[in-house]
Amino acid sequence: MEGSAYMEQLTNLIISDRELAIISTALNKLVLDTSASSVMLIDKSGQVIATQGSGVRRNATSLGALLAGAFSSSRHIAELLGEKDFRTIFQQGVNENIYTTLVEEQWLLVIVFDKLTHIGLVKVLSKKASDELGRILERVKADITRKKSSVINVEFRSSVEDTIDLLFRD
Amino acid sequence: MALINIATHEIHCKIVYYGIGYCGKTTNLQHVFRSIHPNARGDMLSIATETERTLFFDFLPLDLGTVHGFRTRFHLYTVPGQILYERTRLAVLNGADGIVFVVDSQAEKFEENVQSISELEMNLRRIGKDLGNFPFVMQWNKRDLSTALPVHVLDRYLNRRRVPSFEATASAGKGVFATLRCISKTVITQL
Repeated sequence: MEGSAYMEQLTNLIISDRELAIISTALNKLVLDTSASSVMLIDKSGQVIATQGSGVRRNATSLGALLAGAFSSSRHIAELLGEKDFRTIFQQGVNENIYTTLVEEQWLLVIVFDKLTHIGLVKVLSKKASDELGRILERVKADITRKKSSVINVEFRSSVEDTIDLLFRD
Repeated sequence: MALINIATHEIHCKIVYYGIGYCGKTTNLQHVFRSIHPNARGDMLSIATETERTLFFDFLPLDLGTVHGFRTRFHLYTVPGQILYERTRLAVLNGADGIVFVVDSQAEKFEENVQSISELEMNLRRIGKDLGNFPFVMQWNKRDLSTALPVHVLDRYLNRRRVPSFEATASAGKGVFATLRCISKTVITQL
């Protein structure tokens, strides 16, 4: 089980304006092409990177944590069956469905859609979007150190520490 | 793995509370949820069994607001403590930026605590991290119980790395925020 599913993790993942714009465009296209109520890109650890559409906005943080958890759980199920992994999960409700697919071992692309959209369309178009997002992810990974210093500096750290002292108390 | 979103000016960090069954991980999060200003927290999610044991994880998002132009968030998770759920613990550790190890101070739980720490070390290695240089703090919980081992004993045998440690009675809220402040700052320092 220590295979590719548990490859060494990055220290930080830094998304720039330009990358987020490309991600948002790709997600938005997926919303339009599939008539999905929402499309989300989340990190495997449960952090939400971007959302498009109107369906999940209010619950995005909780959904991110739960969907990432469900995906992790399904990978362990795959291992118990002797599979390397399950790369997608389909959750089917009476009205709403969720299709989750892995992007390059790091991100999860989540499409929330209703019964008017055919799952086949979602599968085909999410594969296309996932390939494009995979290319963006490669760029993000390759460009980590340069951008970090501009954000995380001494002043930032010191202000966060002050805020922690202020908020995290009885 | 912290997520730094320059476009939306957001920073997200993940902190995981680890430890044996009934050591008080969920109790820590419940106290934070009840006591912190409502503007600074989201809804707490708990996936529990009918007997109120954590089945998958608890999740509590905290929001520090905008600091130096960046909206900074800490997401607190607990793992299920029961031995049976090792794989779930590994799943929840995925992408963690910091770990609080909650120790049940009772003498009868000593050996279980030892095993749990060594499991944590092994699980971190599986995801390519070394506990030795990872944001990590210890909490000696259940200090109110008469069967609690002395802190110097716990420190000697369970805190071999000499990381910061805090006495706590999470059920009464004691030591919960001191622990949270320390791990949050350590995570930010190592971002």
